Amino acid sequence: MIQPVDTILALVLLSVLVSFGSSRLPSLIKVLAFQGVVVSIVPLVIGHELTAGSIVFTLVTLVIRGIVIPLFIYLAIQKVAIRRDVGPIVGYHASLLAGLALIVAATFVSPKFNLPQTGVDALLLPTAITLLVAGMFLLMARRNAIAMVLGYIMMENGIYLVGTSFSVRAHHIVEFGILLDVLAGVMIMAIILQNINQAFDDVDTALLRTLKE
Amino acid sequence: MVEIVFLIPLLTGVMAFFIPRTTGRSLLVITGVIHLVLSLYLWIRRPVAVFDVYFSVTPEGLLSLMVISLLFFLISIYTTGYLKNTDIRSERVFTGSMLLFLSTMTMVTLSDHIMVMWIAIEATTLASAPLIYTHRSAATLEATWKYVLICSVGIALALLGSVLITLSMDIGGVDVPVAFSALTGEAGRLDPLWLKTGFVFILVGYGTKMGLAPMHTWLPDAHSEAPSPASALLSGVLLNCAYLGIFKTNKLMHAAGLGHFSGTILIVLGLVSILVAATFILKQTEYKRLLAYSSIENMGIIAFGTGIGGLGAYGAMLCLIHHSLIKSSLFLSSGNILLGFGSRLIKETGQLARRMPKTFVAFFSGFAGISGFPPFGIFIGELFIIIAAFRSGHYVAVGIFILSLCVIFAGFAKHVMQISFSDVQATIRLEEKPNMVWPQYALLLTSLVLCIWIPDSLYQTIIHAVNSIGGGF
Repeated sequence: MIQPVDTILALVLLSVLVSFGSSRLPSLIKVLAFQGVVVSIVPLVIGHELTAGSIVFTLVTLVIRGIVIPLFIYLAIQKVAIRRDVGPIVGYHASLLAGLALIVAATFVSPKFNLPQTGVDALLLPTAITLLVAGMFLLMARRNAIAMVLGYIMMENGIYLVGTSFSVRAHHIVEFGILLDVLAGVMIMAIILQNINQAFDDVDTALLRTLKE
Repeated sequence: MVEIVFLIPLLTGVMAFFIPRTTGRSLLVITGVIHLVLSLYLWIRRPVAVFDVYFSVTPEGLLSLMVISLLFFLISIYTTGYLKNTDIRSERVFTGSMLLFLSTMTMVTLSDHIMVMWIAIEATTLASAPLIYTHRSAATLEATWKYVLICSVGIALALLGSVLITLSMDIGGVDVPVAFSALTGEAGRLDPLWLKTGFVFILVGYGTKMGLAPMHTWLPDAHSEAPSPASALLSGVLLNCAYLGIFKTNKLMHAAGLGHFSGTILIVLGLVSILVAATFILKQTEYKRLLAYSSIENMGIIAFGTGIGGLGAYGAMLCLIHHSLIKSSLFLSSGNILLGFGSRLIKETGQLARRMPKTFVAFFSGFAGISGFPPFGIFIGELFIIIAAFRSGHYVAVGIFILSLCVIFAGFAKHVMQISFSDVQATIRLEEKPNMVWPQYALLLTSLVLCIWIPDSLYQTIIHAVNSIGGGF
């Protein structure tokens, strides 16, 4: 029987593949926004008991991960005329293939971890691992600085998925603090990006090579 | 009310963004004084926090807190002089960020909850990013970008590590708050596999922030591009805060009987850092980068000592304290050199001994101290680490350790001799005002005094802190 959580996690995995194939920044940002929304609603459908606090927290997460952060980055690239190409170091086809291989590998290794199988969906761990590694992949395989920030956000999504699904004990106030840190971090990155663009007329990180030994 | 120690700088930090810049300078010093007084109060009384699930006063936290407080006070005095001699366009942002940075670092030293610790350490990154970007040049932009991105990604891994530790609680059926102090008592019941995995992620994450090789790449750029008072804070206390995260997790590992596992990884990472520093110090061309690599070396020494355990852990604590004191004095002196010569390149500086005698005394003694010469404290710390390594039979490791220290000393000495005595045409543009040399003297003097005589309460606190990781005599 297909449960709603499976559908949602499948959407997350799909968003990873789409992001690997995206060549333009606006579409990559949209994919990440979609992913943020989908990842945020996982705790609602996973079968933990719902309290008023957890529902409010999920909504706040959804607004920040799915709307505020992507919107902020989108506005940052609108304001300054940034080149829209993500600057792939690894090509799109190769990236897609790597993404597929990653999902297969994640699914393969997941059962090997001895996890408490109490109401946790079988697809959850593979999805979380995929998000983490895919985020790192985007960080390394794209030269455009904004694509790198998006990779960082994807990693954070993966950690969020691990955190909310497996350990139910963290207090919402603490979770909220983490969310706030991520938000502030992304905002500071966006501000630096705007300055980089003014200083270099581009956000290609290949230009950031003056400081080295 | 323990929390007030970080709430006050938070408040004054926000205020500093809105008040005139000259008032901001005095606000910096005033906050420094208040913070020092409050920290001393915590040191003497050791009260319990209001939110005791999240915060607590621990011996290792107190040690870091005292170092932070003393350093910030002295650096704030130096900063008032430094700001008069430099042209900073957004001085309010600078002073505000300094204070927020102090607040977040204090929060790290007092946090007990694993996640709160993570929040505080990530917040230090965010608060210090504007400090690095103070001079608004392309190079500072690059350094800030690298700093924020590399540290954020690194610290994200530490978050994953923290989550994995809560997972090990779930599997082990441990039902206590996710706080280091509460978990240490129940460590034996945590799931060892996930605890180990969590430790590795936390070590990589906070190790990035601490400057352990091979995750150190942001450190030389950030330390060299930031204004000197900010570099002194970054190197002197920020690295300690990241170490504190590793220290507390290591404590958990020891309590769970996995001390050998964590010790081995720490020894390897420590040695790699020392080797990397030795390689880059030899052919360094800028003196602030030289100091930055020396920080990587010292963080390596501290990780190595912690990994060895026993007397080595005690030595590592001594190194931690004295490295902060000496390295921040060196960075402040390097600020004077930069203002005086107007260049960061070693080859464009020279005859410091004749041209800026007061700065020379501070810089040269700082160099002697950081290289491990008596009468400064790093000497004793390194000696203890070496003795402990021999005792525990790590002969190859200690061989590499000693050899690298010799190479680093040789490289460092060559550059310092050039700065101090070589013949270079230059006009000095800085008058050595008392408030720009006395803070360095005070820092060095503290290190000197603490080398010869350790107050009993300090000794007890260090022993108490390292006992939990199998340290002590």
